[in-house]
Amino acid sequence: MKKFCSQNCGTSPLSILSIQDLHVYYETGRGTTRAVDGVTFDVPEGHVVGLVGESGCGKTTAARAITRVIPKSASIVSGRIIYDGKDLLQLSNRDMAALRWREIAFIPQSAMNSLDPVYRVGSQIIEILRDRGGFDRQRARRRAVELFEMVGLDDKRLRDYPHQFSGGMRQRAAIAFALALEPRLIIADEPVTALDVIVQRQILDTFKDLQERLGLSVILVTHDISVVAFSCDEVVVMYAGQVAEAGPTAAVLAEPVHPYTMGLYNAFPDLQRSAGTLVPIDGNPPDLTLTQTGCRFADRCPFVLDECEREAPSLIQANEGHTAACWRRGEAAALRRQAEEVTTWQRS
Amino acid sequence: MVRVVNRLLHMLFVLWAVATIMFFMFRLMTGNPLAAYIDTNFTLEQQEALLVQFGLDKPLWQQYFIYIGNLLQGELGQSFFYRKPVGEVLMNAFPNTIVLTMGALVVAYLFGIPVGAYLAWKRGTWIEGVGIPTVLATRAAPEFWLGMILLAVFAFNLGWFPSGGANTAGAEFNSEFARFTSVDFLWHLVLPALSLALYLQGLPLLLMRSNMLEVMQEEFVTMARMKGLSEWAIIMRHAARNALLPVVTTFALSIGLSVGGNVVVETVFSWPGLGRLLVGAVASSDFPLAQGAFLLITLVLVSMNFIADLLYHVLDPRVSHGSNN
Amino acid sequence: MAATTDAAPALGPGIYRRKTKTQRVLNALNGMVAVPMRDPFALVGLAIYVVFVLVAIFAPQIAPYDPLEILFADGKLASNIPPLTDDHVLGTTNLGRDIYSQLVFGTRSALIIGLSAAFIVAALGTLVGLLAGYFGGLIDTIMMRIADVALGIPFLPFVIVLAAFLDPSVWNIVLAMALLLWPNTARVVRSQVLTVRERAFIDAARVTGSSTSRIIFQHVAPNILPLSFLYGSIAIGWAILTEASISFLGFGDSNVVSWGVMLQDSFLSQALSRGSYHWFLPPGICIILVVVAGFFISRGYEEILFPKLRD
Ligand SMILES: Nc1ncnc2c1ncn2[C@@H]1O[C@H](COP(=O)(O)OP(=O)(O)OP(=O)(O)O)[C@@H](O)[C@H]1O
Ligand SMILES: [Mg+2]
Repeated sequence: MKKFCSQNCGTSPLSILSIQDLHVYYETGRGTTRAVDGVTFDVPEGHVVGLVGESGCGKTTAARAITRVIPKSASIVSGRIIYDGKDLLQLSNRDMAALRWREIAFIPQSAMNSLDPVYRVGSQIIEILRDRGGFDRQRARRRAVELFEMVGLDDKRLRDYPHQFSGGMRQRAAIAFALALEPRLIIADEPVTALDVIVQRQILDTFKDLQERLGLSVILVTHDISVVAFSCDEVVVMYAGQVAEAGPTAAVLAEPVHPYTMGLYNAFPDLQRSAGTLVPIDGNPPDLTLTQTGCRFADRCPFVLDECEREAPSLIQANEGHTAACWRRGEAAALRRQAEEVTTWQRS
Repeated sequence: MVRVVNRLLHMLFVLWAVATIMFFMFRLMTGNPLAAYIDTNFTLEQQEALLVQFGLDKPLWQQYFIYIGNLLQGELGQSFFYRKPVGEVLMNAFPNTIVLTMGALVVAYLFGIPVGAYLAWKRGTWIEGVGIPTVLATRAAPEFWLGMILLAVFAFNLGWFPSGGANTAGAEFNSEFARFTSVDFLWHLVLPALSLALYLQGLPLLLMRSNMLEVMQEEFVTMARMKGLSEWAIIMRHAARNALLPVVTTFALSIGLSVGGNVVVETVFSWPGLGRLLVGAVASSDFPLAQGAFLLITLVLVSMNFIADLLYHVLDPRVSHGSNN
Repeated sequence: MAATTDAAPALGPGIYRRKTKTQRVLNALNGMVAVPMRDPFALVGLAIYVVFVLVAIFAPQIAPYDPLEILFADGKLASNIPPLTDDHVLGTTNLGRDIYSQLVFGTRSALIIGLSAAFIVAALGTLVGLLAGYFGGLIDTIMMRIADVALGIPFLPFVIVLAAFLDPSVWNIVLAMALLLWPNTARVVRSQVLTVRERAFIDAARVTGSSTSRIIFQHVAPNILPLSFLYGSIAIGWAILTEASISFLGFGDSNVVSWGVMLQDSFLSQALSRGSYHWFLPPGICIILVVVAGFFISRGYEEILFPKLRD
């Protein structure tokens, strides 16, 4: 593991973003999908916060809700998203649009589909710079070259169409796009998931470098816990639309409190363990269209108690700056030892 | 480049196949090879000349090669009715058809594209609920019937427009160009072009709408929103630009299709074009003229398909700019 | 930059579930019936068809007169009677024929032409598409070349030329449609067969002991039937429109009462300059209704076939 924490470790800077009890639901033919159902977390200024969880647990929905660009079928039901002292959910559409990209930029999962296929990549950067940044044509051009250099792309590539880029180059271009207007917060939704491991590392390195140099605050969405270990200061573990556990990366990964985090950590190979001990968590996440009274992880949890099924635990401090939603957070140390046994996760 | 040659060969193949089918239809179905080219009212010398020119006394397979050879030289025989070479008769009518078709198509696309985009934007509102069935109704209406209504209302009832033809009888012009740009001609053009346009606008409209709806779902449109671009920039610069691509290629396709489909509208408005020529020739058993008109219409159709295909590949950078990797 | 890959997202298990053959066919048929129930447009389309079919069946009972009979009133030719008179709802033609009766009997030829052309086009197109897609290779190439040629022939002019050589009859129109319009269906069916074939081979590799061809047909039937239906329902409208155009141009069978013949009759009898809207408006409206009904129904099918259009 490279490092758990960048330059701001130890101090506790002010939050640039604070999400409080956010609920985002989709109206579908089958009913209401509670994709984000009471999510709370903070992004300290200058930190990288990892948002992890299995596919379908609501990471993208939560991340996009921050920009308020969500599908027609989705609605932000309640909660607060405090950015720089203002609740984004209270802003007028106009004020919100003014804030987008200049303050909060986004790196999408699939950069291929996020670029307009009929315009050159360069002119799409220039469009942002001119339309949103007030650059004139010449300065916009120079800035585009500069941005491409920053992310390690040849500026000749500005003249290419998106389809002429490789997957890795597109992802680099997406980073350049995000940096264009020097935003304070970047939301990166699985920026490297579609790439092979070597390229993933190269791009994460570049990104991490830029983040430190520019002092950016970042929400990094991923379902890969090794990416978290590699590049995040804090981590928020989501399960079925809710936060299971959150805290400094070092603490959460070294001493996980929530059984789901323990299981998730087992499920991914990392540099210290050999791939042979890879243990998946049995079962599937619950259907988010159904309401559930108890803990949402109960039916997959090896440490389940009766009360888990009766009532959902709330997100409560377990250690310094480290919260978890688990009734047995007091016994975490003992559970961790059990969780290391493969047999714990195998069910009859 | 390979692609262009490929499509060109393909086009020539289709043309050859249609010409061959026509050859057999006209030779075999008229009962007598002579009947297809020689009118008994022609003078004996004329009959003799045609006999030699088309090799009508030779075996069928030889006639076939003579026919193809003649076609390549644009030699289509003598019209029974007009007593003139078929090529000449066709060339008199062809410009009228082209002007009518292009005029109608331009109006149809200028109307259909923005309205289609607008209906996409108004998805789920009452405007869509009224608009879509209305457009479908214009697509379902026989074009000549639309023409009949316009004619009854605007020509006969209100008397605003002439009831037929391309020019007032007796009008004289220095050149074809002077004729096409004369007020008289344009006045005659309005009703037929309008009824055609009314029929044709449904295609670009519906296509534009469904493309817009599809493009609006694309990730790059969502990203444009995230970038805080104005709604206008998102719709016009990104969504519409992408949605327009396939619509533009259908313009070329539509030229080809409506040159053949114009037949009925030309008849309603006595428009002196190819279609009316074809109908007249068939009705009066003027076989060389019918064959010639048919082949010319086919030529337009097939070459417009070819152009549409090329256009699509020129306009789409994903194809015109190959991958660098 | 080193070689990169755009890794495809891994498919979860259970995305493609296997069903039995009969289940599949039943599901497909069920889907066809269920569509109109779900889509209000399709429901309207179906209702229009039902009305027209009933009118066609009971035409002799519904129509007050023989559509071709020349009527007399008070010993005088009952010509050009205005609409909404006691005996003639839509008035009479200039030869003293009852327009309403003609309209009623016109449903018969419209439906006969529409349904037979639709059936032939859909059947022929499906057959060619199946063969081309299933056998591939030379057969595929030849059939697709023929399809190219058929699509290169201008439709209406071809029908006109054909009508000139054959006796005027509605069957010429059906014949011409069969000759020229099958390629659209064939192409779509073919590409469907090709995708299904891919899947079938994967299945065949998994389920040893069952032949590929059996599996193909197991997969093909439920995937192809709605497509054939879709193209059939579009062809109905086309056929009726074509009949109208051909009759209007004078190449139809004038002994048959059809909406196209009515329009030609009115056009040639100066109905336009006389302002006899009651004569030439109703046939056009009937054509629109039947063709639009076809559009509505096919729209319903499109939505299950290409669900992307729905949001
Ligand atoms: N447009 C939508 N309409 C309806 N439901 C949706 C929509 N998008 C997502 N969902 C549902 O919301 C839930 C959360 O989806 P989301 O995309 O936020 O998950 P995710 O954690 O980002 O997953 P992944 O790792 O696969 O990207 C899922 O159950 C999903 O099915
Ligand atoms: Mg996601």
